[in-house]
Amino acid sequence: MNAAEIIALKAQALAEARDATSPQDIEAIRVRYLGRKGALPAIMKSLKDADPVERSEMGKQANLFRQELSSALESKASESESGDTVRTPSRMDTSLPGQWPSRGSRHPISIVIDDITAIFRSMGFTVADGPDIDSEHNNFDALNTPGDHPSRDAHDTFYLDNGDLLRTQTSTVQVRVMESTPPPIRIIAPGRCYRRDTSDATHSANFHQVEGLYVDRKVSLADLKGDITYFAHRLMGPGVQVRFRPHFFPFTEPSVEYDFSCHICKGSGCRVCKNSGWIEISGAGMVDPRVFENVGYDAEAFTGYAFGMGVERIAMIKYGIQDIRHLYDNDVRFLSQFS
Amino acid sequence: MKLLLSWLQDYVDFDGSTEALADRLTFSGSEVEAIDEIDGEVVLTIEVTPNRPDCLSIIGIAREVSALVRNPLRIPEVRLAETGPAVESLTSVELQDPERCARYSARVLQNAIVAPAPDWMQRRLELCGVRSINNLVDITNYVLLECGQPLHAFDQSRLTEGRIVVRRAQPGESIQTLDGVDRKLTDDILVIADASNPVALAGIMGGSSSEIQPSTTDILLESAYFDPSGIRRTARVLGLSTESSYRFERGVDVAQVDWASRRAAALMIEHAGARLGAGAIDQWPTKPAARRIACRPNRVRDLMGVEVGDEEIREILTSLELPVEAGADGALVVEVPTFRVDLEIEADVIEEVARIYGLDRIPAPTPRSTLIEAADDAGTRARAELRSQLVGLGLNEVMNYSFLSGGALDRFGTGDRDARVVLPNPISQDQAVMRNRLTPQMVETLGRNRARQTESAALFECGRVFYKGSDGLPNEQDRLAVGMMGRIGRGCLDVARPVESDEMFLWMKGLVESLCRAMHVRDVQVRDTAHPVFEEGFAVDVMIEGACCGQCGILSRAIGEAWRMSDPVAILEIAIQPLLTHVFELPKLNSVPIYPSVLRDMAIIVDQSVRHEDVLRVIHDSAPAELTDVHLFDIYTGKGVGECKKSVAYSLAYQSLETTLTDEAVNAFHAALMNAVVNALNAEIRGN
Repeated sequence: MNAAEIIALKAQALAEARDATSPQDIEAIRVRYLGRKGALPAIMKSLKDADPVERSEMGKQANLFRQELSSALESKASESESGDTVRTPSRMDTSLPGQWPSRGSRHPISIVIDDITAIFRSMGFTVADGPDIDSEHNNFDALNTPGDHPSRDAHDTFYLDNGDLLRTQTSTVQVRVMESTPPPIRIIAPGRCYRRDTSDATHSANFHQVEGLYVDRKVSLADLKGDITYFAHRLMGPGVQVRFRPHFFPFTEPSVEYDFSCHICKGSGCRVCKNSGWIEISGAGMVDPRVFENVGYDAEAFTGYAFGMGVERIAMIKYGIQDIRHLYDNDVRFLSQFS
Repeated sequence: MKLLLSWLQDYVDFDGSTEALADRLTFSGSEVEAIDEIDGEVVLTIEVTPNRPDCLSIIGIAREVSALVRNPLRIPEVRLAETGPAVESLTSVELQDPERCARYSARVLQNAIVAPAPDWMQRRLELCGVRSINNLVDITNYVLLECGQPLHAFDQSRLTEGRIVVRRAQPGESIQTLDGVDRKLTDDILVIADASNPVALAGIMGGSSSEIQPSTTDILLESAYFDPSGIRRTARVLGLSTESSYRFERGVDVAQVDWASRRAAALMIEHAGARLGAGAIDQWPTKPAARRIACRPNRVRDLMGVEVGDEEIREILTSLELPVEAGADGALVVEVPTFRVDLEIEADVIEEVARIYGLDRIPAPTPRSTLIEAADDAGTRARAELRSQLVGLGLNEVMNYSFLSGGALDRFGTGDRDARVVLPNPISQDQAVMRNRLTPQMVETLGRNRARQTESAALFECGRVFYKGSDGLPNEQDRLAVGMMGRIGRGCLDVARPVESDEMFLWMKGLVESLCRAMHVRDVQVRDTAHPVFEEGFAVDVMIEGACCGQCGILSRAIGEAWRMSDPVAILEIAIQPLLTHVFELPKLNSVPIYPSVLRDMAIIVDQSVRHEDVLRVIHDSAPAELTDVHLFDIYTGKGVGECKKSVAYSLAYQSLETTLTDEAVNAFHAALMNAVVNALNAEIRGN
């Protein structure tokens, strides 16, 4: 045995001492290493035969072995006597912070779009996409918006020099899809829209919508109600109630607006739902036959429903975000909460 | 619109609570936004949709209530005592523009006494938000609120020649309106004129010159129908919206013009002691043709998705005062009354049935399971995968506006100015240009976070950029931007050393490589480039499958300092599309070797100008098939390696798929390879 081997044996003995959990263990270790027939007396005996160059180092290490192991066993014994719980053996401070690249986060708008998309995919919808800059035809004309409708005003809509505009709704994608694909179709179109709203707590000139369109034979208002209700249960939980109110949009007839029961107060009234128990979500309706005619669909053979919902609004409702501007402020302290 | 409940009860009876009534109105399309109690009176605030101008009056809402509760509507009967001279002897109406004014009626009342209106009338007006002025003006407003027909009372003695001309304004004409504003007129504006000058903006506001005054005795009472789009244009041009223009631009009931005139005249006789001239001048050159819409009960059931019976459909329509006759093939033919300007096609009639039937009575079945052949939305799924991988790599997603100021873009270069898509009507100069790159807002976002004491961040944005193509037309492209600052790639205990540009650059490069791997893009390279956005020597083009799709590097210090970031900031901006093309491809699998690999190190001293890629190229050019892996594990400059030299060390793995390689074989491979490297790079083997 040389000095290095003594050190290794010491490490083994100390590890055993640390792992000992009972007085019997402690005694067994003492006998095994320090006892008359133990390892250490054997080492001491072997010193006289050792290489003289190594002898002094071996002696020094053997003494250290005895001292360290004795004191380790003593403190272990007193710990055991005092009744303290013997700690789970550990060689490091396991409470140190973990080190692995931290996970990032999706933006809440992305999360909501992904959630909505996943739900409608499960119902057989596919996702369609369209450009942010589109024609007045796709944004207004084809959607049966009267020529002098106020929403067309340059006060509300961003026009470009060439007469195109920044779409004010993702309904443009409806028109694009219907003009290029024969029915039946079942699509949703998430995307960015623009309106000339001065920004405040609930308005942003740049926002996101998810448009939905289902055209087939005999699609009815009942289908719209059923699908929106199913969607509501998947998005907000099975307890949510949905109610429909007649409304008006140029591109649907009949038109409805729908509300979800408030998920915060469950309908009893709170700040989020302004004490009404209901939260207005979006508009929908049966596609106006004139829209079908504009895109060359047989308005007699096919019927369909369409809806458009505001993503920011749903994100604000779901996460209790008070001000829409937080969504575009991109403060890491806000974003990282969506990890 | 304000609706006084006690006034509503003049026209229709209903039971139950106010809340129940409000609910029924809301769920039939007239949304009750508020219920207020003022001085013991209940006032509802109703949001009337733009297609229903007929509901902009008490009688209009009473008609809805009548249909909902199936109680009859009571329209007040008007009896007139026409004790004055024939109206033709008192005035005349010249209708020059029947397109903009389909109907114009005038009555003349004499010997009126201007006084306050009766208390009950003043009270009703005030509860509905209309200020009381005098009996004559109040009566016109009262009838407006009651039936939705705007009226105007002129002081006839102040009309030149006491007569009316309905015409376009002439160039250079102007008018002072009742609000005291002098307005210049254009020839698109329809005016009511007397023999010489405009005396009112048709359908919008009267003029001061013919306003009712305390001394007024003779009144010309106007009731007319003006074309909605003309009123809308004029109101917008003049920036003037009134109770009157609001109704005309949505469409009033052309048939009700005379009833409203008679109703007001009767009230003026009663409450202002006026004497009414006999008859009325009523210019109505072209009466609208009767409109009929066929409504098929089967279509109603199909569109609503509920089995509502023919008889119930008929009852609902009749209760809305929509007369129904039997048509061919069981269709119900509705004769559209003139007050329902919104009813044009069958679907409009079906909506009437649905909203009175009650949307809550329509079932909400489980979604249909019919499958429609899916359109290809792989692009959307691939983009979702890209975002998800970036999140997994530790980045926070941000979203910035699609527009920013031209000045913010200029800071990152001005060569693109002509190709920018500029908004002619921005909200503000800060949002005047469509972004043609994501980097400026990414840098700003990092800077804003730094200013809020966030020292380290790794952010990404998947966003659209906009630019003019060579044809001058706007184009769009989806881009990915990444921004990094601080000790983002280090452990928490390693904070003492400042971050160096080299280190930051390699974090960004590592991210790009990891991302490409995640998206199954195998061929990604970087190529040194120079770019004003980046620090010199720290900018590369990102080449995917040989094509440049963007840049990454260390942000120019000058730009960073504008946001008070003096430490290295890494920025990436690339097109998204090249990242998406392989994501759904299956990996090509190689069998896992069963024989062990043998490692050999290669430490060489080379000129500092020799690049990692040079060494790799030589190794790969000379390697035997058994070389399976090479990686760099040390770079050292300084003591012991000589001026302008560096020591680089690589670990090489040799492995065969067929056999366990012997030491001799590996030694031979390695020696040959070392020899090739030494010769090609003029290298010196370290330790020799």
